[in-house]
Amino acid sequence: MPPTAQFAAKRLAKELQKITNDLPPGITLVQADNLDEWFLDIQVLDNNPLYQDQTYRLKFKFGSSYPIEPPEVTFVKLADRPIPIHPHIYSNGIICLDLLGQQGWSPVQNVESVCMSLQSMLTGNTKDERPPGDEEFVKANRLRPKDIDFYYHDNNV
Amino acid sequence: MKVKITKWNAVATWRWDIPEDDVCGICQVDFDGTCPTCKYPGDDCSLLSGKCGHNFHMHCILEWIKQDSAKGQCPMCRQKFEWHEQLHETTASGLPEVSSPRAQQGQGQA
Repeated sequence: MPPTAQFAAKRLAKELQKITNDLPPGITLVQADNLDEWFLDIQVLDNNPLYQDQTYRLKFKFGSSYPIEPPEVTFVKLADRPIPIHPHIYSNGIICLDLLGQQGWSPVQNVESVCMSLQSMLTGNTKDERPPGDEEFVKANRLRPKDIDFYYHDNNV
Repeated sequence: MKVKITKWNAVATWRWDIPEDDVCGICQVDFDGTCPTCKYPGDDCSLLSGKCGHNFHMHCILEWIKQDSAKGQCPMCRQKFEWHEQLHETTASGLPEVSSPRAQQGQGQA
């Protein structure tokens, strides 16, 4: 194993140990069978009508350079897990959030803190809309989220 | 009753002189443990204290700082990550090193 992969494996093992026993309200660990891909469910706990009584499934994909590089985090659509409506979340589950990009990421972030940021990104939203150009983006995009050059045009949402 | 000590063993432990429950934010391992790439804690895997007040295993923070995207910033507070040169000896490799851990003496008896 290259040293960075060993670094990632140890850090992820640490995180898994912690979140198996203890996660903040509204965040549930669904599956973490390996150190490549984890699934978590999040709920918005206040009564924002856009997200009330819904549960959303998140997929984390970790590279061998985690946590120096950010994980790839997307929402996954299932029969009972919709993609939350938000001006920074495309209908294919891709999230435009600065802390998940190369520019905004910090290695002190972790799975739990990312889930909490997404919870609060939903909590604070009042707009019942998708990002501009969602339909075209979802149809045309073949890039991995980390290769998309998002333009953070709006820091208020 | 008089006791004659014929043999005794001394035991010493050490720890870094920082709060006990602190972990390195990058690898999330205790500071008294090693970064994930090292085997032995101590001088071989020393800490680096930023002027901003944030500490990391030296290997962890250097791994981050060498990334372009880090922009030389502390992962905790995003201030420029600088360390106090005068507190560190410079090793042969040119990397700064935190002064030796403070030893705490304990004593065992036979």
